[in-house]
Parts: sequence; structure tokens; C-alpha cells
Amino acid sequence: MTEALHFESFEAGNARIHICSTEKFKTNLLMVMVQQSLSPETVTRHALLPSVLQRGTRTYPTTVGLKRKLDEMYGANLFGDVTKRGENHVMQLGLEVANERFLTGTSSLLEEGAAFLGEILTQPAIDGERFADGFIQSEKKNLKQKIESLMDDKIRYAAHRCVSEMCAGEPYALFNHGRLEDLDEIDSENLYTYYRELLRTRPLDLYFIGHLSRTEVESLVKRHFDVGSGNRTPVPSPLVQSEVKDVKRVVDRLDVNQGKLNMGYRTPVTYADDTYPALLMYNGILGGFPHSKLFVNVREKASLAYYAASRIESHKGILTVQSGIEIDNYQRAVDIIQEQFDLMAQGKFNETEWSQTRAMLINQLRERQDRAYDLIDAHYHGVISGRKRSLEQMVRELETVTRDDVTAIAQQVKLDTIYFLRDQKEEAAHGSN
Amino acid sequence: MDRIEHRQLEETLFYEKLPNGLQVYLLPKPGFNKTYATFTTRYGSIDNHFQPPGGEKIRVPDGIAHFLEHKMFEEKDGDVFSRFSNQGASANAFTSFDRTAYLFSSTGNVEKNVTTLIDFVQDPYFTDPSVEKEKGIIGQEIRMYDDNPDWRSYFGLIAAMFAEHPVKIDIAGTVESIAKIDKETLYTCYETFYHPSNMLLFVVGPIDPKSIMELVRKNQETKPFEAMGEIKRFFPEEPEGVDQAKMEIRLTVGIPKCLFGFKESRNEVGLQGEELVRRELATEVMLEAIFGEGSDLYQSLYDDGLIDDHFGYDYSLERGYGFSIVGGDTPDPETLVDRIRSALPKIQQEGIPTEVVDRIRKKKTGGYMRSLNSPEWIANQFTRYQFNGANLFQVVPLLESLSANEVNRRLQDHIDWDRFAVSIVRSQEAK
Repeated sequence: MTEALHFESFEAGNARIHICSTEKFKTNLLMVMVQQSLSPETVTRHALLPSVLQRGTRTYPTTVGLKRKLDEMYGANLFGDVTKRGENHVMQLGLEVANERFLTGTSSLLEEGAAFLGEILTQPAIDGERFADGFIQSEKKNLKQKIESLMDDKIRYAAHRCVSEMCAGEPYALFNHGRLEDLDEIDSENLYTYYRELLRTRPLDLYFIGHLSRTEVESLVKRHFDVGSGNRTPVPSPLVQSEVKDVKRVVDRLDVNQGKLNMGYRTPVTYADDTYPALLMYNGILGGFPHSKLFVNVREKASLAYYAASRIESHKGILTVQSGIEIDNYQRAVDIIQEQFDLMAQGKFNETEWSQTRAMLINQLRERQDRAYDLIDAHYHGVISGRKRSLEQMVRELETVTRDDVTAIAQQVKLDTIYFLRDQKEEAAHGSN
Repeated sequence: MDRIEHRQLEETLFYEKLPNGLQVYLLPKPGFNKTYATFTTRYGSIDNHFQPPGGEKIRVPDGIAHFLEHKMFEEKDGDVFSRFSNQGASANAFTSFDRTAYLFSSTGNVEKNVTTLIDFVQDPYFTDPSVEKEKGIIGQEIRMYDDNPDWRSYFGLIAAMFAEHPVKIDIAGTVESIAKIDKETLYTCYETFYHPSNMLLFVVGPIDPKSIMELVRKNQETKPFEAMGEIKRFFPEEPEGVDQAKMEIRLTVGIPKCLFGFKESRNEVGLQGEELVRRELATEVMLEAIFGEGSDLYQSLYDDGLIDDHFGYDYSLERGYGFSIVGGDTPDPETLVDRIRSALPKIQQEGIPTEVVDRIRKKKTGGYMRSLNSPEWIANQFTRYQFNGANLFQVVPLLESLSANEVNRRLQDHIDWDRFAVSIVRSQEAK
């Protein structure tokens, strides 16, 4: 087994720096994470910001100029997005640049890349105390399109609709790309104010992965990432977990050929808990893999679906099931899925399911070591939850989880919402076959 | 076992062709945890009309290569997924126009998993009830794609371009076509295309090439394969121009999808080896110069709200067919296409300057290195190149030797309005 990679972390200014030094990749990856509370007041601004920042900087005030500079840096890949992590909203900005040792005749790609990303983050193209107006207008249009296109991918749409119905009134119900109704009031001035405030006060983590050393990174940060020296306080993102009273049933109708059945469950466990590895086992046996109960019973035995799986949101403590089915098979599918949860609660999983799931989870964790993005993602789970687990620790914990631990979780998992996306036709005779 | 060094990229490839014809390529990746292996047959959705060596010419139902892929996972005593799971490996497979690949990835039990992979693919087991049951599952897979606007616009464009060639047929077929599939036809396809001489095994990861090669060699020695004659594949005559200039599909979408592109000329679709790679690279550089994020056209379309950051392009050149595909989400497909129609002639007239070619060459080199971080990408692309008589590790030197002339020749040859088609997906109520 190849040795696991680790991050070395330290503070610089008022940011946290995390370095992972390795020669296994052909590129170096630099990434910034800025954490915000997920809230209706900031969600759309936060979502808009990364695309505005990628439009221009002080040195590259036009977008074409900026993109061409990236091309010149051997196609350095600049990217930005926002994700939800429980009740947190995280902005990511990153740059992946070829490792110069594999190229002839260039020696400063890492330096250039760091300077570039530093400028994207801290020196955007501005016009006084505001972002360039043209950039704001076209990025608002772009974001609007992104929000509207949510319904195009029916799998993603159903997943979002299920969670937003289930968590109505909780921050987690918000769409990570924000709300259409907020777009009008955002302008180049108030977004710039938001950006300044965010950069000054919110937790900021800088990641470096690749063929680089701590001294090198320290010097790069000092020269290119002027992120201030004030105090950053943790963002208030308290976990909101509602009690389940009745099962909510929601049906949406669109012009679709296939029904999307999504079911949302509450679990009492998040990444920060001791019992998190038991939740991983629970989800794995239930619906994480092709040997899992959902896949075997919904797809292989009943031939009802092409996909039937479950997944957990680590920082929110919810578990969702997703499946695409023939519309008339709704009740049969719900029954089979519910039956699998009941079996879990009764502790009915055999030795084979148990050992296969553990082997698969450990394999999955180890595989994440081979992708720089996954390394950062795994580490950031620890940062955001305040509970750091190394790969070795997680593997050890998975190896010591007991069947009773998993059954105990299974008995606390509660069905909250059944969401069904179906066609426009008149009510069909459910359960006819 | 041959050893091929790629010094600049610090990669060493090991190769052997076994007596039964199987090609085995091994790429050690020290420092990686994951081993990724693909076992690929040169058989895809377009191979629907063929003559097995020594047999009769037959035409098979649409979607059968993909159906066969699904059925391979079933064994006499249970299914293969479960065996891989026991060994901590995740297994999967995919079918494309020209290939069917079976794969696993795992961080341990590598030798066992390689053996499981080869053995299950070389041991077909189909029964009438299990073939029937699979029709329900694949039926849902087809329905899923029916609701996917990106997939529909992609196939809409290919169907608009091609009149006869089976590349226009959806890889999974239709609910009606798969209804006609039976156990016997599956065996016929299997026996024709799954002979080792039509297949390639690629293993990449922290492996010891010597012991893996020995394992594969021994495994194959125990299995009797009769020498195989040539498989004859038949393709209809395809006209030079597109079948329809425009294809429109109605589906509920938040934002319309618009894809457009040029069907490749008949003169180009027979290329193989280095020539094919050169042509492909030159075309990609040309498309990047026109439609890439660093182009004036991209930026002006973006600023006018006609495209968003999902806009992109892709080029495929295979034996028998080729096409470019450009586009993405747009609020106004007609205006977008009008703008393209009026911009391209001017670009063709002016040509692509050498410095632009140089800039894009750099961009593509870096992109290639990024891809080399991905074992999945390496295995998949390597196999594709090899099936076309080329080598993935030639890409950087070929890119470096590409001239602005070649790129500009593609600009003149590929951009031909008789070979241009558009595919639009939008909602019922839209204009």
C-alpha cells in the first residue's frame, strides 16, 4: 500500500494555509476556500462572486486578455464555484497548472500561477469602489441561466426539489446557485462591498498540492496573497435539524418519460460525530454500491430501475434515496425501498454485505488519495466540521464499527419526505402491476 | 515483454501481444494508490451488420452491443459485482460507438481483480429469463436518456448529420429494438467480437509489470481459443452532405440547448495511425482558435448573453465517420446560429495567425498533462488510439510539430456549409 498523503497546516496573516507536498501529479493545484453561512441574505451574492472574479484583474482587465494569459501558462485551468456543506456555503476558486519539470523551456509556471490566482482573489478589475459594470451585468445573466437550467437535468432537479421541500424553512433548502428574485438588487457596488467584507472577515483556507515545499509556498503566499491581518471569526452556521412529524408527500408534474422517485430521511449523525463511520457503513449497506440492498432489490430483483441508490450529506445529517422508475411503478418502488430501511432497522444485514461494504468504503477513501481535488475536499470536511480525521484514522474507525453501532443508527433514521417527479398525464392507476 | 520509455513525461509503458492475439499494456504509476484496468473489445453500437468468420452475414437489433455489456455481469453462480465488492473493487462498463470496455478500480487485491476482470468477460452466461429481466432495467436507462436534454441534443445533431451510417443510432437502442434481443443473438455477437485478438487489456496503477504480465499470460494459456479469421463489418454508403440541416426536439427545459457542427468529409474518415492523430489535433486547434474562451467570438457571444460557460466544442474522427460538435445552453438558438454563420466566413478569409496556433498549442499541452493525472483517461484514450493504430504518447511531439498551415487547411476543409447541421432542444411553449 502506498503511503497516505498529509497536509501541513499553518496560519499566514489571517488565513490558514494547507500544503501537501507530492510528486505523483503532473500538475500543481492551488485552491482557495471561503466559508459563509448559508442564508437567504447572502446566498445569491456568494454564488455570483466567483464568476465575477474570473472576469478580470488589475493586470488583466479584459476577459479575453485574462483567458489568453491562462492559455499562455500552458492552459492553466482557472475555476470557481460555490457548494453547500451542511448550513455552510463555500466559495472555491482554484488554479491547476502544469508542473514545469515536464515542459521544456519554462521555469516559472508555479510562480506565475500563484501570482495569477492571488490577483484573481485580491486584485479584481474595479472601477473605483465597484466592480466593472459590464462584468456584473453579464454574470447576472449567466447566473440566471444557471438557476433556470436546474430543471434541465431531471436527476439533479428532483434531488434538489426533494431536499428543498424536506428542509423548507432551513437554510439547507436554498439552491447553491442562489435565487432569481435576488438578482435585481445586486449591483456592481453592493457586490463589491460584499466581496470586501467577505475577504476580510470570513474563514479563508488556501490549499497547495504538488511538487512544492513549505518554504516555497510561504514565500508565494507572502508575495501574492494579500488577504489581510484582521480577525476572522467562525461563521455562524448552526446545524438545523427538524423533528419529523408526518411524512411529507410532494408530487411535481413536468413533461417527462421517466418518473424520479426521491426520498429524504433524517439521521442524527454528521461528520463531527463519533458515530459518523457507522453512518457510512449504514449508507453503504443500504444503497451506496452495486452490492447494496437498494441496487439489488429495486434494480436486479424487481427490474424496476436503472439506478437506485442512497447518499448522505455529511454536514447536514440527511440521507436521500434516488431512483428513476416507470411512473406506474411508484407504489411498488416506494414499498421495496421502505422495506430495505426496515430490514436495516431490524439489523438484517449479513456478513457478506458487511464485509463487502467495509472493503468498498476503504477502497473509496484510498482512491481519493489519487486526485488532488479529492484530497482537498476530504481535508476540508475536517476543517469545516472542526473534526479532523486522517485517512488512517478513518480506516481504523471503519474497521472497529460494530453491527450494533449500525443498527442503533438504523433505528433512528426517519423518513421525512417522499418526492415524485412525474408526467402530466391524468392520475394513472397506481400499483396496477 | 517490450518496454517503451516516454522520457519527457516520465512514463514507462510495458507491452506484450499474447499468442492468442490479446494485446496487453501495463503502465506503472508509482505513488498512486489506485489500480485501474480496462478490458476492451473493438465492438460498439455501430457494428450492427457483420459476418462472423466462417459464418453468415447478419443484421442485429439496435442496442445489442450495450445489452451484451449489461448481460456480461451475470454469472452462473451470482453476479460479478458482488465478487468485485468482496475484493474491494468497484467495477463498471461502458459501450460507445466503436468499443465496449469493462473495468475495475481498486487499491488492493490487484491480482485477484485482474483475474476476475478477464475471467468474467471471457465467460458469457445468458438465460432466457435473465435476458427478459434486463429489458426492464435497460428500458429505464433508455427512458432516463429520453429525458436528458443534453443527450437528446447530441443525438439529434448526429441524426441530422448522418443519413445512413449507424453512428446515428442511439447506443442503447430503443425500447422496441431491445425487445427483439434474445439469448442466441447475444451469443453470436459475443463469439464474433470477444475473441482475444479483437481485445486490449490496459492496467495502470502502482503495479509490478512483470508479475501482472505473467499472471495474464498464465491465465490465457489455460483457455483454449481457436485462431480467429477476419470479422467483416458492413457499413452503408453515406452521402457527403448532411441529411437534415436542422433538427428540433421539444422537451421541458429551463434554457434551450443548441448544438451545431460540421460532418467530416469522406476524404478524411479513412485515416489511421499518426495521420489520424495529426488531423484530429489540427482540427481541435482550429476549433479552439474559433470557439475557445480566448477567442473574440466566444467573448462577444458571452457578453451578449447568447452563450454561458457551458459552451464548448468537441471533435471526433474515427474510421468511417467524423464530426465536430459545438454549442451548449442559449436563450436564443436562432440568433446564436446566425452569428456563427456570419462570423465564420470572415475567420476563414483571414486565417488563423501563427501566434494563435502557438498559444493554443501551449494550452493543449498543459491540458494533456492534466489528463495524465487521471488513470481513467489514460486507459480509455490509450485504448482508443491503439484501436486506430496510433499511440497516445505521440500527442505532445505531434502537437509540437503541427504547423499553422495544417491548422488553416482544416479551417478551409472542415468548415463547409453543405456539411453543417443544427440541433435544438426547447420547451413546448417556446417560440
